Amino acid sequence: MGDRRLVNQVRTLRFLQGEMTQAELGARVGVTRQTIAAIESGKYAPTLETALRIAEAFGKRVEEVFYWESAS
Amino acid sequence: MSISTDLVTSTPYRERAAWLALVAMGLPFSAYFGWTIADPPAAPMPDWTTFSRFGAALAAQIAIWSIGTWWLRKRHPEDAAAPLDERDRAISRRSIQTGYGILFAATCINIGCVFPFTAGGWKLINSGLASIVVAEVVRSAMVIWLYRRGFHG
Repeated sequence: MGDRRLVNQVRTLRFLQGEMTQAELGARVGVTRQTIAAIESGKYAPTLETALRIAEAFGKRVEEVFYWESAS
Repeated sequence: MSISTDLVTSTPYRERAAWLALVAMGLPFSAYFGWTIADPPAAPMPDWTTFSRFGAALAAQIAIWSIGTWWLRKRHPEDAAAPLDERDRAISRRSIQTGYGILFAATCINIGCVFPFTAGGWKLINSGLASIVVAEVVRSAMVIWLYRRGFHG
């Protein structure tokens, strides 16, 4: 567990959605734009419910948006 | 494909509010305790000099907090009106836990060391007041730290 970190594709997926803004995504999933920024930068791991909502907003499965990455 | 980064680094409204609470509590009461240590209350209760210092510190805290809150709300009306989200609530919970721990420990120290045998009047008031101020300063600092460092709930 210790040598892995949680990463996500939120920034990339926003880009692929025509530069959806952090505020727009935040409004769709029920968090502030600062929280979306914190999720993108790895400063905050969302709850399962919010992770599912984010994945749903992009039409993806949650494991396509959030996944483990080897730290080394 | 290049992706420009727009990671918004603007400070969250709740972090700004925590800075304000920290300054509003920390500055006036640092001055108050500085005065109290340099010039301990000489007269028994009520000592109007010490009482006026306390009143001035309290008035300064209320003024800084009120004006600061008004200014923050004016500059960031949408962020101010937004309800707390899950990250805000998680950070709030953790910081309150920490602040409560400090308050509890300080109260135990006061009860064990200050209250029963040796103190009276202003010493009791100031030791209790110091506990509250330290707990609140630590709580506000914890909020700021968790927003800046990152927190995973």
